[in-house]
Amino acid sequence: MRHHYSVKVGPAGFRIGSAWPQPIAALAQLYALYPKPIDLIPDFTVRLEPDTRLRQWIRPSVAIRGDFTLPDAVPMSLDHGLLAAELGMNLQMAMGQRNFLLLHAGSVERDGEVLIVTGESGAGKSTLCALLGETGWRFMGDEFALIEPETGLAWAFPRPVSLKNKAVDVVRAVAGEGRMGPMMAGTPKGDIRHFIPSPEALAAMDKPGKPALILFPRFGYARAARPMGRAEVFVRLTQASTNYVTLGERGFKALTRLVDETPVGAIDYPDTESALSLVEELWAARR
Amino acid sequence: MNEEQHQQDMSVPTRRRLLQMGAIGAAAVVTVRPAMAQTTASLLTCQIPIPSGQYIAADGTLVAAGTPGAVPGGVTYTGEAVKAALNLNYTLPGATYDQHYAHLAYIRRLQSGQAGFTCYASLQMPR
Amino acid sequence: MIGAHYAADSSDAFSIVPLDALTAIYHRRSGVTHVVTDPVPQIIEALAGKTLSAEDLLSALAVDHEIVIDSETLAGLNARLDELTEVGLVSPA
Repeated sequence: MRHHYSVKVGPAGFRIGSAWPQPIAALAQLYALYPKPIDLIPDFTVRLEPDTRLRQWIRPSVAIRGDFTLPDAVPMSLDHGLLAAELGMNLQMAMGQRNFLLLHAGSVERDGEVLIVTGESGAGKSTLCALLGETGWRFMGDEFALIEPETGLAWAFPRPVSLKNKAVDVVRAVAGEGRMGPMMAGTPKGDIRHFIPSPEALAAMDKPGKPALILFPRFGYARAARPMGRAEVFVRLTQASTNYVTLGERGFKALTRLVDETPVGAIDYPDTESALSLVEELWAARR
Repeated sequence: MNEEQHQQDMSVPTRRRLLQMGAIGAAAVVTVRPAMAQTTASLLTCQIPIPSGQYIAADGTLVAAGTPGAVPGGVTYTGEAVKAALNLNYTLPGATYDQHYAHLAYIRRLQSGQAGFTCYASLQMPR
Repeated sequence: MIGAHYAADSSDAFSIVPLDALTAIYHRRSGVTHVVTDPVPQIIEALAGKTLSAEDLLSALAVDHEIVIDSETLAGLNARLDELTEVGLVSPA
Protein backbone atom coordinates (compact mmCIF):
# COMPACT_ATOMS: atom_id res chain seq x y z
CA MET A 1 0.00 0.00 0.00
CA ARG A 2 1.09 3.59 -0.68
CA HIS A 3 1.44 4.63 2.97
CA HIS A 4 2.22 2.61 6.04
CA TYR A 5 3.05 2.84 9.71
CA SER A 6 4.41 0.28 12.17
CA VAL A 7 4.08 0.33 15.94
CA LYS A 8 4.46 -1.98 18.92
CA VAL A 9 1.91 -1.93 21.71
CA GLY A 10 2.81 -4.23 24.58
CA PRO A 11 3.64 -7.65 23.09
CA ALA A 12 1.90 -7.00 19.76
CA GLY A 13 3.49 -5.43 16.68
CA PHE A 14 1.22 -3.86 14.06
CA ARG A 15 1.72 -2.69 10.50
CA ILE A 16 -0.99 -0.37 9.26
CA GLY A 17 -1.19 0.22 5.54
CA SER A 18 -3.36 2.96 4.05
CA ALA A 19 -4.43 4.12 0.61
CA TRP A 20 -4.38 7.71 1.95
CA PRO A 21 -1.67 9.62 3.83
CA GLN A 22 -3.92 11.30 6.40
CA PRO A 23 -4.56 8.34 8.74
CA ILE A 24 -0.85 7.50 8.71
CA ALA A 25 0.12 11.07 9.60
CA ALA A 26 -2.42 11.03 12.44
CA LEU A 27 -1.11 7.68 13.71
CA ALA A 28 2.49 8.92 13.62
CA GLN A 29 1.53 11.84 15.82
CA LEU A 30 -0.61 9.88 18.29
CA TYR A 31 1.91 7.05 18.66
CA ALA A 32 5.04 9.26 18.56
CA LEU A 33 6.32 7.92 21.91
CA TYR A 34 5.64 4.25 21.14
CA PRO A 35 8.35 1.76 20.07
CA LYS A 36 8.52 -0.01 16.74
CA PRO A 37 7.91 -3.77 16.35
CA ILE A 38 10.97 -5.93 17.08
CA ASP A 39 12.98 -6.19 13.86
CA LEU A 40 10.06 -4.30 12.30
CA ILE A 41 8.23 -7.62 11.92
CA PRO A 42 4.54 -7.17 12.68
CA ASP A 43 2.30 -9.73 14.35
CA PHE A 44 -0.80 -8.21 12.79
CA THR A 45 -1.54 -6.14 9.71
CA VAL A 46 -4.33 -3.66 9.16
CA ARG A 47 -5.18 -2.17 5.78
CA LEU A 48 -7.31 0.91 5.30
CA GLU A 49 -8.67 0.55 1.77
CA PRO A 50 -11.18 2.39 -0.38
CA ASP A 51 -14.54 0.71 -0.11
CA THR A 52 -14.80 0.78 -3.88
CA ARG A 53 -12.44 2.12 -6.57
CA LEU A 54 -14.27 5.44 -6.81
CA ARG A 55 -14.26 5.94 -3.07
CA GLN A 56 -10.54 6.62 -3.02
CA TRP A 57 -11.16 10.15 -4.25
CA ILE A 58 -14.88 10.92 -4.16
CA ARG A 59 -16.29 11.18 -0.61
CA PRO A 60 -13.54 8.82 0.45
CA SER A 61 -14.76 5.93 2.53
CA VAL A 62 -12.45 3.62 4.41
CA ALA A 63 -12.93 -0.12 4.58
CA ILE A 64 -11.02 -1.82 7.37
CA ARG A 65 -9.23 -4.93 6.16
CA GLY A 66 -6.33 -7.03 7.40
CA ASP A 67 -5.41 -10.55 8.43
CA PHE A 68 -8.89 -10.71 9.87
CA THR A 69 -11.88 -8.92 8.41
CA LEU A 70 -15.35 -8.39 9.69
CA PRO A 71 -17.42 -8.75 6.54
CA ASP A 72 -20.49 -6.56 6.16
CA ALA A 73 -18.95 -3.68 8.12
CA VAL A 74 -20.04 -0.15 7.23
CA PRO A 75 -17.12 1.82 5.74
CA MET A 76 -15.99 4.92 7.62
CA SER A 77 -15.31 8.49 6.54
CA LEU A 78 -11.67 9.39 5.88
CA ASP A 79 -12.01 12.10 8.55
CA HIS A 80 -12.28 9.25 11.03
CA GLY A 81 -9.32 7.32 9.63
CA LEU A 82 -7.56 7.30 12.99
CA LEU A 83 -10.57 5.62 14.56
CA ALA A 84 -10.72 3.16 11.67
CA ALA A 85 -7.09 2.22 12.29
CA GLU A 86 -7.82 1.69 15.98
CA LEU A 87 -10.84 -0.47 15.26
CA GLY A 88 -8.74 -2.45 12.79
CA MET A 89 -6.08 -3.06 15.42
CA ASN A 90 -8.74 -4.11 17.95
CA LEU A 91 -10.19 -6.52 15.43
CA GLN A 92 -6.83 -8.17 14.68
CA MET A 93 -6.14 -8.61 18.39
CA ALA A 94 -9.64 -9.87 19.17
CA MET A 95 -9.57 -12.48 16.42
CA GLY A 96 -5.89 -13.31 16.05
CA GLN A 97 -4.27 -13.20 19.46
CA ARG A 98 -3.17 -16.71 20.47
CA ASN A 99 -0.47 -16.11 23.06
CA PHE A 100 -2.70 -14.53 25.67
CA LEU A 101 -6.23 -14.92 26.94
CA LEU A 102 -7.88 -11.62 26.05
CA LEU A 103 -10.40 -10.04 28.38
CA HIS A 104 -12.48 -7.02 27.43
CA ALA A 105 -11.14 -5.06 30.36
CA GLY A 106 -8.92 -2.22 31.44
CA SER A 107 -6.02 -2.76 33.78
CA VAL A 108 -3.68 -0.72 35.97
CA GLU A 109 -0.72 -1.77 38.09
CA ARG A 110 0.70 -0.82 41.46
CA ASP A 111 3.73 -2.47 43.12
CA GLY A 112 3.68 -5.37 40.70
CA GLU A 113 0.01 -6.18 41.31
CA VAL A 114 -2.70 -5.63 38.74
CA LEU A 115 -6.24 -4.34 39.05
CA ILE A 116 -8.50 -5.57 36.23
CA VAL A 117 -11.65 -3.57 35.46
CA THR A 118 -14.13 -5.39 33.20
CA GLY A 119 -16.88 -3.85 31.11
CA GLU A 120 -18.30 -3.42 27.62
CA SER A 121 -17.21 -0.50 25.44
CA GLY A 122 -18.91 2.59 26.79
CA ALA A 123 -19.45 1.22 30.30
CA GLY A 124 -16.95 3.67 31.80
CA LYS A 125 -13.92 1.42 32.26
CA SER A 126 -11.85 3.48 29.82
CA THR A 127 -12.36 6.75 31.69
CA LEU A 128 -11.79 5.05 35.03
CA CYS A 129 -8.53 3.41 33.93
CA ALA A 130 -7.30 6.61 32.28
CA LEU A 131 -7.87 8.51 35.53
CA LEU A 132 -6.31 5.79 37.69
CA GLY A 133 -3.25 6.06 35.44
CA GLU A 134 -2.96 9.71 36.45
CA THR A 135 -3.42 9.10 40.17
CA GLY A 136 -0.74 6.73 41.41
CA TRP A 137 -1.30 3.69 39.16
CA ARG A 138 0.57 2.55 36.06
CA PHE A 139 -1.81 2.41 33.08
CA MET A 140 -1.73 -0.97 31.30
CA GLY A 141 -4.67 -0.65 28.95
CA ASP A 142 -8.37 0.14 28.68
CA GLU A 143 -9.57 -2.23 25.96
CA PHE A 144 -7.82 -5.58 26.42
CA ALA A 145 -6.30 -7.24 29.47
CA LEU A 146 -3.83 -9.93 28.41
CA ILE A 147 -3.54 -13.00 30.65
CA GLU A 148 -0.59 -15.29 29.99
CA PRO A 149 -1.85 -18.89 30.37
CA GLU A 150 1.47 -20.40 31.48
CA THR A 151 2.15 -17.94 34.31
CA GLY A 152 -1.20 -16.32 35.09
CA LEU A 153 0.44 -12.90 34.74
CA ALA A 154 -1.31 -9.90 33.19
CA TRP A 155 0.52 -8.07 30.41
CA ALA A 156 0.00 -4.49 29.24
CA PHE A 157 -1.57 -3.31 26.01
CA PRO A 158 -1.47 0.45 26.64
CA ARG A 159 -3.03 1.83 23.48
CA PRO A 160 -4.24 5.43 23.36
CA VAL A 161 -7.63 5.50 25.04
CA SER A 162 -10.51 6.54 22.84
CA LEU A 163 -12.78 8.74 24.92
CA LYS A 164 -16.11 10.12 23.89
CA ASN A 165 -18.15 13.19 24.61
CA LYS A 166 -18.03 14.21 28.31
CA ALA A 167 -15.28 11.76 29.22
CA VAL A 168 -12.90 13.79 27.05
CA ASP A 169 -13.37 16.86 29.25
CA VAL A 170 -13.03 14.88 32.48
CA VAL A 171 -9.70 13.35 31.47
CA ARG A 172 -8.33 16.46 29.78
CA ALA A 173 -8.97 18.44 32.96
CA VAL A 174 -6.69 16.06 34.86
CA ALA A 175 -3.99 15.32 32.26
CA GLY A 176 -3.87 18.42 30.08
CA GLU A 177 -4.47 19.21 26.42
CA GLY A 178 -0.98 18.04 25.41
CA ARG A 179 -1.94 14.42 26.11
CA MET A 180 -5.00 14.47 23.85
CA GLY A 181 -5.26 13.47 20.19
CA PRO A 182 -7.29 15.29 17.52
CA MET A 183 -11.07 15.72 17.82
CA MET A 184 -13.09 13.45 15.54
CA ALA A 185 -16.67 14.62 15.51
CA GLY A 186 -19.68 12.58 14.44
CA THR A 187 -18.10 9.15 14.36
CA PRO A 188 -20.33 6.05 14.72
CA LYS A 189 -19.32 6.10 18.41
CA GLY A 190 -19.91 9.83 18.97
CA ASP A 191 -17.37 12.67 19.30
CA ILE A 192 -14.02 11.03 20.02
CA ARG A 193 -10.61 12.16 21.19
CA HIS A 194 -7.76 9.83 22.08
CA PHE A 195 -5.89 10.14 25.35
CA ILE A 196 -2.17 9.29 25.22
CA PRO A 197 -0.85 7.20 28.13
CA SER A 198 1.93 8.79 30.22
CA PRO A 199 5.59 8.35 29.23
CA GLU A 200 6.01 6.20 32.37
CA ALA A 201 3.20 3.88 31.26
CA LEU A 202 4.75 3.54 27.80
CA ALA A 203 8.22 2.93 29.19
CA ALA A 204 6.81 0.09 31.30
CA MET A 205 4.70 -1.53 28.57
CA ASP A 206 6.71 -4.75 28.61
CA LYS A 207 6.39 -5.29 32.38
CA PRO A 208 3.72 -7.78 33.47
CA GLY A 209 2.05 -7.95 36.87
CA LYS A 210 0.15 -10.42 39.02
CA PRO A 211 -3.65 -10.02 38.91
CA ALA A 212 -4.74 -9.06 42.42
CA LEU A 213 -8.31 -7.77 42.07
CA ILE A 214 -10.99 -7.97 39.38
CA LEU A 215 -13.79 -5.42 39.44
CA PHE A 216 -17.15 -5.52 37.68
CA PRO A 217 -18.31 -1.90 37.65
CA ARG A 218 -21.76 -0.48 36.96
CA PHE A 219 -22.00 3.22 36.24
CA GLY A 220 -25.08 5.25 37.13
CA TYR A 221 -26.13 3.47 40.33
CA ALA A 222 -25.92 4.43 43.99
CA ARG A 223 -22.48 3.79 45.47
CA ALA A 224 -22.23 0.15 46.53
CA ALA A 225 -19.91 -2.84 46.61
CA ARG A 226 -20.74 -6.53 46.87
CA PRO A 227 -18.89 -9.83 46.52
CA MET A 228 -19.45 -12.19 43.60
CA GLY A 229 -19.54 -15.97 43.41
CA ARG A 230 -16.71 -17.61 41.50
CA ALA A 231 -19.04 -19.42 39.12
CA GLU A 232 -20.74 -16.18 38.12
CA VAL A 233 -17.35 -14.52 37.65
CA PHE A 234 -16.12 -17.40 35.50
CA VAL A 235 -19.14 -17.34 33.19
CA ARG A 236 -19.11 -13.54 32.88
CA LEU A 237 -15.42 -13.56 32.02
CA THR A 238 -15.94 -16.17 29.28
CA GLN A 239 -18.40 -13.70 27.77
CA ALA A 240 -15.92 -10.85 28.26
CA SER A 241 -13.22 -12.76 26.36
CA THR A 242 -12.84 -12.58 22.60
CA ASN A 243 -10.68 -15.68 22.37
CA TYR A 244 -11.60 -17.95 25.29
CA VAL A 245 -13.11 -20.63 23.06
CA THR A 246 -10.39 -20.58 20.41
CA LEU A 247 -7.67 -21.07 23.03
CA GLY A 248 -9.19 -24.41 24.02
CA GLU A 249 -7.84 -25.99 27.17
CA ARG A 250 -5.16 -23.30 27.63
CA GLY A 251 -7.99 -20.79 27.90
CA PHE A 252 -9.86 -23.01 30.37
CA LYS A 253 -6.78 -23.38 32.56
CA ALA A 254 -5.93 -19.68 32.38
CA LEU A 255 -9.42 -18.58 33.29
CA THR A 256 -10.09 -21.10 36.06
CA ARG A 257 -6.72 -20.18 37.57
CA LEU A 258 -7.48 -16.46 37.34
CA VAL A 259 -10.87 -16.92 38.97
CA ASP A 260 -9.48 -19.22 41.65
CA GLU A 261 -6.56 -16.97 42.60
CA THR A 262 -7.98 -13.46 42.25
CA PRO A 263 -10.46 -11.70 44.54
CA VAL A 264 -13.42 -10.16 42.75
CA GLY A 265 -15.87 -7.38 43.56
CA ALA A 266 -18.88 -5.77 41.93
CA ILE A 267 -19.07 -2.01 42.36
CA ASP A 268 -21.82 0.46 41.55
CA TYR A 269 -21.07 4.16 41.31
CA PRO A 270 -22.96 7.33 40.37
CA ASP A 271 -19.90 9.39 39.42
CA THR A 272 -16.15 9.23 38.83
CA GLU A 273 -15.23 10.40 42.33
CA SER A 274 -17.16 7.52 43.90
CA ALA A 275 -15.53 5.11 41.46
CA LEU A 276 -12.03 6.20 42.39
CA SER A 277 -12.69 5.99 46.12
CA LEU A 278 -14.39 2.59 45.79
CA VAL A 279 -11.36 1.31 43.88
CA GLU A 280 -9.00 2.40 46.67
CA GLU A 281 -11.29 0.89 49.31
CA LEU A 282 -11.58 -2.50 47.63
CA TRP A 283 -7.89 -2.54 46.73
CA ALA A 284 -6.92 -2.00 50.36
CA ALA A 285 -9.24 -4.85 51.40
CA ARG A 286 -8.40 -7.17 48.53
CA ARG A 287 -6.82 -10.15 50.31
CA MET B 1 -28.02 -51.20 51.89
CA ASN B 2 -28.11 -54.52 53.75
CA GLU B 3 -27.51 -55.08 57.46
CA GLU B 4 -23.86 -56.07 57.05
CA GLN B 5 -22.96 -52.92 55.13
CA HIS B 6 -24.86 -50.83 57.63
CA GLN B 7 -22.81 -52.31 60.48
CA GLN B 8 -19.57 -51.55 58.61
CA ASP B 9 -20.60 -47.98 58.02
CA MET B 10 -21.51 -47.54 61.66
CA SER B 11 -18.01 -48.53 62.74
CA VAL B 12 -16.24 -46.18 60.29
CA PRO B 13 -18.36 -43.05 60.20
CA THR B 14 -17.97 -41.31 56.85
CA ARG B 15 -19.71 -38.18 55.67
CA ARG B 16 -22.00 -39.04 52.79
CA ARG B 17 -23.28 -35.92 51.14
CA LEU B 18 -26.91 -35.66 50.16
CA LEU B 19 -27.09 -35.68 46.37
CA GLN B 20 -30.27 -34.53 44.68
CA MET B 21 -31.07 -35.27 41.05
CA GLY B 22 -32.75 -31.93 40.46
CA ALA B 23 -36.18 -31.14 39.06
CA ILE B 24 -37.33 -32.47 35.69
CA GLY B 25 -37.79 -29.04 34.13
CA ALA B 26 -34.68 -27.42 35.62
CA ALA B 27 -31.37 -27.08 33.82
CA ALA B 28 -28.13 -28.28 35.39
CA VAL B 29 -25.79 -27.31 32.57
CA VAL B 30 -24.79 -23.96 31.07
CA THR B 31 -22.64 -24.34 27.97
CA VAL B 32 -20.14 -21.56 27.30
CA ARG B 33 -20.72 -20.05 23.85
CA PRO B 34 -18.20 -17.97 21.92
CA ALA B 35 -18.62 -14.29 22.68
CA MET B 36 -16.51 -13.16 19.78
CA ALA B 37 -19.26 -11.99 17.46
CA GLN B 38 -20.78 -9.87 20.16
CA THR B 39 -17.64 -7.91 20.95
CA THR B 40 -16.23 -7.44 17.48
CA ALA B 41 -19.56 -6.56 15.96
CA SER B 42 -19.99 -3.88 18.58
CA LEU B 43 -16.68 -2.42 17.43
CA LEU B 44 -17.93 -1.77 13.92
CA THR B 45 -21.46 -1.00 12.76
CA CYS B 46 -22.41 -3.74 10.35
CA GLN B 47 -24.79 -3.89 7.43
CA ILE B 48 -27.07 -6.41 5.77
CA PRO B 49 -27.68 -6.06 2.01
CA ILE B 50 -30.83 -7.26 0.29
CA PRO B 51 -29.71 -8.26 -3.20
CA SER B 52 -30.94 -6.55 -6.36
CA GLY B 53 -31.54 -8.32 -9.67
CA GLN B 54 -34.06 -10.73 -8.16
CA TYR B 55 -37.24 -10.14 -6.17
CA ILE B 56 -37.94 -11.30 -2.62
CA ALA B 57 -41.03 -13.45 -1.98
CA ALA B 58 -43.04 -13.05 1.22
CA ASP B 59 -41.24 -16.06 2.71
CA GLY B 60 -37.84 -14.48 2.08
CA THR B 61 -36.76 -16.65 -0.84
CA LEU B 62 -35.29 -15.10 -3.97
CA VAL B 63 -37.55 -15.30 -7.02
CA ALA B 64 -37.56 -13.95 -10.58
CA ALA B 65 -38.12 -10.21 -10.92
CA GLY B 66 -41.77 -9.38 -11.42
CA THR B 67 -43.10 -12.52 -9.68
CA PRO B 68 -46.57 -11.67 -8.30
CA GLY B 69 -46.51 -11.03 -4.56
CA ALA B 70 -42.76 -10.54 -4.50
CA VAL B 71 -40.99 -7.25 -3.78
CA PRO B 72 -37.76 -5.74 -5.12
CA GLY B 73 -34.55 -5.75 -3.11
CA GLY B 74 -31.50 -3.62 -3.82
CA VAL B 75 -31.30 -1.94 -0.41
CA THR B 76 -28.90 -2.23 2.51
CA TYR B 77 -29.94 -2.03 6.16
CA THR B 78 -27.69 -1.35 9.14
CA GLY B 79 -27.46 -3.94 11.90
CA GLU B 80 -29.10 -1.46 14.25
CA ALA B 81 -32.14 -1.08 11.97
CA VAL B 82 -32.58 -4.84 11.63
CA LYS B 83 -32.19 -5.32 15.37
CA ALA B 84 -34.90 -2.70 16.00
CA ALA B 85 -37.14 -4.40 13.45
CA LEU B 86 -36.64 -7.84 14.99
CA ASN B 87 -36.86 -6.86 18.64
CA LEU B 88 -39.09 -3.80 18.71
CA ASN B 89 -41.15 -4.26 15.57
CA TYR B 90 -39.91 -0.98 14.06
CA THR B 91 -40.39 -0.78 10.31
CA LEU B 92 -37.24 -1.24 8.27
CA PRO B 93 -36.22 2.24 7.07
CA GLY B 94 -37.72 3.16 3.70
CA ALA B 95 -39.57 -0.15 3.35
CA THR B 96 -43.21 -0.57 2.36
CA TYR B 97 -45.41 -2.93 4.38
CA ASP B 98 -44.68 -5.84 2.03
CA GLN B 99 -40.99 -5.04 1.69
CA HIS B 100 -40.60 -4.97 5.47
CA TYR B 101 -41.90 -8.50 5.93
CA ALA B 102 -40.27 -9.98 2.85
CA HIS B 103 -36.88 -8.42 3.63
CA LEU B 104 -37.02 -9.56 7.24
CA ALA B 105 -37.90 -13.06 6.10
CA TYR B 106 -34.92 -12.97 3.72
CA ILE B 107 -32.63 -11.88 6.55
CA ARG B 108 -33.87 -14.68 8.80
CA ARG B 109 -32.93 -17.20 6.12
CA LEU B 110 -29.34 -15.99 5.76
CA GLN B 111 -26.70 -18.71 5.89
CA SER B 112 -23.01 -18.60 6.66
CA GLY B 113 -21.15 -17.31 3.60
CA GLN B 114 -23.92 -15.00 2.42
CA ALA B 115 -23.37 -11.26 2.61
CA GLY B 116 -24.87 -9.94 5.85
CA PHE B 117 -24.78 -13.24 7.71
CA THR B 118 -22.11 -12.30 10.29
CA CYS B 119 -23.96 -9.06 10.94
CA TYR B 120 -27.26 -10.89 11.44
CA ALA B 121 -25.62 -13.55 13.62
CA SER B 122 -24.06 -10.89 15.84
CA LEU B 123 -27.51 -9.43 16.54
CA GLN B 124 -28.58 -12.76 18.02
CA MET B 125 -25.93 -12.95 20.76
CA PRO B 126 -27.40 -12.57 24.23
CA ARG B 127 -26.25 -9.41 26.00
CA MET C 1 -36.20 -44.32 28.84
CA ILE C 2 -36.30 -47.72 30.56
CA GLY C 3 -33.47 -49.98 29.50
CA ALA C 4 -31.53 -47.18 27.82
CA HIS C 5 -27.78 -47.17 28.48
CA TYR C 6 -25.43 -44.23 28.69
CA ALA C 7 -21.68 -43.85 28.28
CA ALA C 8 -19.18 -41.12 29.03
CA ASP C 9 -15.58 -40.66 27.90
CA SER C 10 -12.85 -41.85 30.27
CA SER C 11 -11.97 -39.47 33.09
CA ASP C 12 -8.89 -38.07 31.31
CA ALA C 13 -11.24 -36.62 28.71
CA PHE C 14 -12.50 -34.10 31.23
CA SER C 15 -10.90 -31.31 33.19
CA ILE C 16 -13.15 -30.67 36.18
CA VAL C 17 -12.68 -27.57 38.33
CA PRO C 18 -14.96 -26.66 41.23
CA LEU C 19 -16.05 -23.00 41.44
CA ASP C 20 -17.82 -22.65 44.79
CA ALA C 21 -21.42 -23.80 44.29
CA LEU C 22 -20.96 -24.80 40.65
CA THR C 23 -18.36 -26.77 38.70
CA ALA C 24 -16.59 -25.96 35.42
CA ILE C 25 -16.03 -28.90 33.08
CA TYR C 26 -13.79 -28.74 30.03
CA HIS C 27 -14.59 -31.56 27.62
CA ARG C 28 -11.36 -32.17 25.71
CA ARG C 29 -12.78 -34.02 22.75
CA SER C 30 -15.23 -31.25 21.88
CA GLY C 31 -13.25 -28.29 23.25
CA VAL C 32 -16.44 -27.09 24.92
CA THR C 33 -16.70 -25.69 28.46
CA HIS C 34 -19.80 -26.31 30.57
CA VAL C 35 -20.67 -24.86 33.96
CA VAL C 36 -22.78 -27.32 35.92
CA THR C 37 -24.54 -27.95 39.22
CA ASP C 38 -24.59 -31.12 41.28
CA PRO C 39 -25.30 -33.97 40.46
CA VAL C 40 -23.58 -33.50 37.07
CA PRO C 41 -19.93 -33.80 38.21
CA GLN C 42 -20.86 -36.87 40.23
CA ILE C 43 -22.67 -38.40 37.25
CA ILE C 44 -19.67 -37.81 34.98
CA GLU C 45 -17.33 -39.31 37.56
CA ALA C 46 -19.51 -42.39 38.03
CA LEU C 47 -20.06 -42.89 34.30
CA ALA C 48 -16.51 -42.09 33.07
CA GLY C 49 -15.21 -44.87 30.84
CA LYS C 50 -18.29 -47.00 31.51
CA THR C 51 -21.65 -47.85 29.96
CA LEU C 52 -24.53 -48.06 32.43
CA SER C 53 -28.29 -47.99 32.53
CA ALA C 54 -29.89 -45.17 34.52
CA GLU C 55 -30.89 -47.62 37.24
CA ASP C 56 -27.34 -48.99 37.62
CA LEU C 57 -25.96 -45.47 37.55
CA LEU C 58 -28.28 -44.48 40.38
CA SER C 59 -27.09 -47.47 42.42
CA ALA C 60 -23.45 -46.55 41.71
CA LEU C 61 -24.07 -42.98 42.87
CA ALA C 62 -25.79 -44.28 46.02
CA VAL C 63 -22.55 -45.96 47.13
CA ASP C 64 -20.79 -42.66 47.79
CA HIS C 65 -23.72 -40.32 48.24
CA GLU C 66 -26.89 -40.15 50.26
CA ILE C 67 -29.67 -40.85 47.78
CA VAL C 68 -33.21 -42.12 48.13
CA ILE C 69 -33.65 -44.72 45.41
CA ASP C 70 -37.18 -44.36 44.12
CA SER C 71 -39.05 -43.56 40.93
CA GLU C 72 -38.87 -39.82 41.54
CA THR C 73 -35.09 -39.79 41.86
CA LEU C 74 -34.79 -42.06 38.84
CA ALA C 75 -36.94 -39.65 36.83
CA GLY C 76 -34.68 -36.79 37.96
CA LEU C 77 -31.59 -38.73 36.92
CA ASN C 78 -33.11 -39.45 33.53
CA ALA C 79 -33.80 -35.75 33.07
CA ARG C 80 -30.14 -35.02 33.84
CA LEU C 81 -28.98 -37.75 31.46
CA ASP C 82 -31.16 -36.32 28.67
CA GLU C 83 -29.65 -32.91 29.31
CA LEU C 84 -26.10 -34.27 29.31
CA THR C 85 -26.76 -36.19 26.10
CA GLU C 86 -28.02 -33.01 24.46
CA VAL C 87 -24.87 -31.06 25.32
CA GLY C 88 -22.57 -33.93 24.39
CA LEU C 89 -21.13 -34.82 27.80
CA VAL C 90 -22.78 -38.22 27.74
CA SER C 91 -23.80 -40.44 24.82
CA PRO C 92 -26.59 -42.97 24.47
CA ALA C 93 -25.09 -46.48 24.14
